[in-house]
Amino acid sequence: MRRRAGVGAIQKQKLEQEKYKDKGTVIQENQFEQMTKQLEVFRANLEEFATKYKNEIKKNSQFRRQFQEMCASIGVDPLSSGKGFWSVLGIGDFYYELAVQIVEVCMATSYKNGGIIGLDELRDRLIKARGRNVQHQEITLDDLLSAAKKLKIFGNGFCMIPVGKGQYMVQSVPGELSMDQTAVLKLLSSSGNAYITFSSLKDQLNWEATRAANAINQMVAEGLCWVDGQNDCEISYWFPSMFTECISS
Amino acid sequence: MGEVQWPWQYSFPPFFTIQPNAETRKKQLEAWRTLLLEYCRTQKVCVIDVREGDRLSVFNNAVISRKLSPEAITIVLEALQRTGNAEPLDKSRTRWHVYWHTLDEWASIVYKWAQDNAMLNTVCTFYEIANDSGDLNGIDDGVLTKALRVLERRQQAEILTLEGGSGVKFFA
Repeated sequence: MRRRAGVGAIQKQKLEQEKYKDKGTVIQENQFEQMTKQLEVFRANLEEFATKYKNEIKKNSQFRRQFQEMCASIGVDPLSSGKGFWSVLGIGDFYYELAVQIVEVCMATSYKNGGIIGLDELRDRLIKARGRNVQHQEITLDDLLSAAKKLKIFGNGFCMIPVGKGQYMVQSVPGELSMDQTAVLKLLSSSGNAYITFSSLKDQLNWEATRAANAINQMVAEGLCWVDGQNDCEISYWFPSMFTECISS
Repeated sequence: MGEVQWPWQYSFPPFFTIQPNAETRKKQLEAWRTLLLEYCRTQKVCVIDVREGDRLSVFNNAVISRKLSPEAITIVLEALQRTGNAEPLDKSRTRWHVYWHTLDEWASIVYKWAQDNAMLNTVCTFYEIANDSGDLNGIDDGVLTKALRVLERRQQAEILTLEGGSGVKFFA
């Protein structure tokens, strides 16, 4: 004969559930406590590490990059927090300072390059500007990239344009470059020339004359390139930002 | 004469084409102004004939085979004129005086030369002035005359016609 479910069984089940719940809460609390402890230890260690190696981080570019990578892999951004325990580090300060210097260099050179500058040239000028007393502060391209990324919050007046092969150009004039204009810069950077013609755009990017003219004319209008009417057969367009003598002057 | 220190623009081919974009053209003409005045100062060029401009190395960079056309040279000289550093000598604007010092500055330099060399209240020739070892060395007669006219207006000198040349008397 099948046994019917009684009140006792239901109560028993209820009791069991409650017990499970209690146990669950206890375990959860335990875990939370442990986690908090672990985090505290981690934080303390990281803080200790950061304070201990603060100077090393500032001075040694390779060390700085590894530290950055480590932070990135555990999901903290030492740049984003000016407050809190990261401020003891002064890492943020380092990059903020760098960012300001980047802006200074861009402004100082924009009269001749129209507001775009290669990252290498930027680095050379920046190191010169930082002067001799801080020559031990070697600045890498990685540092510049990190610092320049922070400048994005000022809107599109400042951006890094990847031009292929790990090369970057920094644009410091308001107004975004179009896809086509970026393609022109990429082509220039990979060819190593400082000039471009309609036919080279046609040959290498397969652009129609109107498309090429659109992209180029806009860049002429923005002062990014100069027109040379004395080339053999067709007009060529020259970019001071890619021109060696201009870069080294 | 010293070697000319060419700026980077001199080897930049489009520098020899007047730029269509107004902003860029402004930078270009400013660079030309600096370059041309420096060139004229070191090479002692006082008169420029637009039609023969390509005889001057400043307007003709053979290395990159770029020249400034006569029209473009006129535009550059007009930019110099606006700052008082050049003046056309004829109506067709083909021959120009270039002043790497403005006439006012030249006038003061000449007067200071007279003071320093104890030439006040005496007559001296243009030749003496142009043979000075300093800034005045090789100054063009035409430019010197114009500078002395400025001094005449300031009542600090008077131009005299001497036998076989011009002279000037400086007043204290």
